[in-house]
Amino acid sequence: MKINWFCPLPPARTSVADDYLVGILPSLSQHSELTLWTDQNNWDRSLEKLAMVRRYEPERISWPELNHADVTFYNIGNNHLFHASIWQVSRRHPGIVVLHDSRVYNFFDSLYRGQWRDLEGYLAELKRYYGNEGLRAGTEFLSSGAVNIDFMTEHYPLTPLALENCLAVVVHTQEAFEQVEAMQYWPVVSAALPRALPPHRDGNDTVRSAIPPYRLIMFGYMGRNRRLDAVLEALVTLPERDSFQLDIFGEIPDERSLRRRIGKLGLGGLVQLHGYTHETELNKVLQTSHLAINLRYPTMGEASGSQLRIWYHALPSLVTDVGWYSSLSRDTVAHVRPEHEIADIQSYLQAFLKDPEPFAKMGQRGLRTLREQHDPDKYVQTILNLAANARQFTVRKSAYDLARRAGTIMGSWTSNAGKEPIRIAEKIHEICGR
Amino acid sequence: MRILIATVQIPFIRGGAEIHAEGLRDALCRAGHEAEILAIPFKWYPPEKILDHILACRLLDVSEVAGTRVDRVIGLRFPAYLIPHPNKVLWILHQHRTAYELWDHALSDLVYYPNGSQVRDAIEEADRKLIPEARAVFTNSRNVAQRLRRFCDIESTPLYHPPPNAEKFYSASAEDYLFFPSRLCIPKRQELALEALAATRNPVRLSFAGTSDHPDYTAKLQSLARKLKLQKRVEWLGGISEEEKRSRYASALAVVYPPTDEDYGYVTLEAMLASKPVITCRDSGGPLEFVEDQATGLITDPTPDALAAAFDFVWENRDQAEGWGRAGRVRYENLNLSWDYVIKKLLA
Repeated sequence: MKINWFCPLPPARTSVADDYLVGILPSLSQHSELTLWTDQNNWDRSLEKLAMVRRYEPERISWPELNHADVTFYNIGNNHLFHASIWQVSRRHPGIVVLHDSRVYNFFDSLYRGQWRDLEGYLAELKRYYGNEGLRAGTEFLSSGAVNIDFMTEHYPLTPLALENCLAVVVHTQEAFEQVEAMQYWPVVSAALPRALPPHRDGNDTVRSAIPPYRLIMFGYMGRNRRLDAVLEALVTLPERDSFQLDIFGEIPDERSLRRRIGKLGLGGLVQLHGYTHETELNKVLQTSHLAINLRYPTMGEASGSQLRIWYHALPSLVTDVGWYSSLSRDTVAHVRPEHEIADIQSYLQAFLKDPEPFAKMGQRGLRTLREQHDPDKYVQTILNLAANARQFTVRKSAYDLARRAGTIMGSWTSNAGKEPIRIAEKIHEICGR
Repeated sequence: MRILIATVQIPFIRGGAEIHAEGLRDALCRAGHEAEILAIPFKWYPPEKILDHILACRLLDVSEVAGTRVDRVIGLRFPAYLIPHPNKVLWILHQHRTAYELWDHALSDLVYYPNGSQVRDAIEEADRKLIPEARAVFTNSRNVAQRLRRFCDIESTPLYHPPPNAEKFYSASAEDYLFFPSRLCIPKRQELALEALAATRNPVRLSFAGTSDHPDYTAKLQSLARKLKLQKRVEWLGGISEEEKRSRYASALAVVYPPTDEDYGYVTLEAMLASKPVITCRDSGGPLEFVEDQATGLITDPTPDALAAAFDFVWENRDQAEGWGRAGRVRYENLNLSWDYVIKKLLA
């Protein structure tokens, strides 16, 4: 089976490239004739041992090459730097979308408003999918700031725009599954986000000090939904704060202002910012850390690659009680209620100080969950099953497209077509199958 | 019977398919039936238009006209052969070729569109589901029947028919030219014939008859002939009358017909009727069902050098060429092609 796979490639600084793709690539390439498509100038050349790598630009791509594969997969997530080109190709050549974030408002906001400076296009898309209400909210967001980006993300996630030309959808969370299924437009499959795990890994390579200060760790892209402010606030008002130190790894959008804030709160000796760190180094730190803080609010509808990395190191963690994180078993993570963030964080930290053992067990159970539920081979089998059905999805999409064109044409001459749409629908079924 | 012949018409383009439909209509009328051609205009780009045309055909109701029943529909070309009718018989000239045997071919356009594979799959799905609606499926050649089986798992029966005015073809003494009558278009490979002509050892002359689908294409071919310094050895007859065509066949040394995977091809049969050997290629499709290598013509690789060698051979071995031509005529007679037989099968 020939598969086109559009995805950020290592060394792109996204877990879609370094955890997700690297995790499934051995199995995927073993069971298919795989071509990785990238708009990056550089990629890890070792990938070429497993798959053909082709570079493309969205406006200059070989359609025959894409057409000669059995199916094309597009990995789409919220970071426009990694996914904009992929989405642009997906709009023209139908394929199966692996949706890493089910709310992709941020992606389109960065793309239309940030990269393209196309406010008109941005508002047009909001109107297209959410009518005048969406247009009003978008206009308000642009002009007065009366509504913020979190509000826009929650109410106008623009998910259908990410999927507009797709054949079927793969999601990694139950919430995303329900969200896409409710649209009643695309076949959707949910598969647990995969992460490779050596067969005998037991997490015993950790070197965690038994005495304070205990190491807290946050890592990944520190966007506004990572709740840094709340974490700092919880620390500053925690009487036992000196028993902890917090290491933050990953890119921070406004690092200077964060440093100022840390200084202002008097947390300079307790909180260290390390910036982006290579995963080898990060893994070493995770081995010595005691507790990870992996909060998200609002969630973008993602399953967290970071969480799987945390479990890989048998590390206990605090997560927000929303979305996918909410679905995680309460004995594998500690849930923080968004409306009681600071109190909950403090309460967990105090409980940790009192008795770290239950937290250590939580980490071990997380590792077991990772092994049992996030197996890359099972995930790849789901992908291959979808690929095997690609033709059925393609024909189904043709029927929808045809129905849309017929509806548009009929709409131009009549507002009350009576039974005609049913007759046309029946004929489309005849052509494209049921 | 009241019979409709369902086909498509690409406006301003006329070729074998149009002649085929007219021949069938005339034969049906001669046999006492009331027959008309129902031609649907067809445009194949952008690719989604093809699906629109399928839908348009499926929405047609030709079961009766003004309260009078249409007894039979005979579907010839995609997508008109998908028009529904309770008493439909197909006599398929070809499917939408770029979705099938020409998908990977240099002539393909569909594969260059972003949604090419999507539309290809939908075409195949429609063919697979809807062709079997017909009470019988015939094809105009074995080649088309094989494609139908290979791509859609549909069995069909090849049904040959005589070219128009078959009885009027005759033979005369061979003169110093080879004859290539056909529409001027890429699939017929006039360019290949010109390149072959440039590679001959002898001053072989080649006479082209036919007009082009695209106005620029004639100029392109003529420019190639000039570039190859063939002006004095090439004749461009353009569109000629049927009488003149038969006369050109009659006096030709041999007939050149090297298309890409032709469905059927009247040229082969017309050459045989005129007792002329046919020079064709191994990948020419339909002609290979009739031409026997070194018995009624020559079959070569589709390369200028191989074709040039065939041109030289007939130029240098005229008696043998004449003998192959006569054998071709005998072979034609033995095929027993007749419209009566065709109609009997289509109306059974």
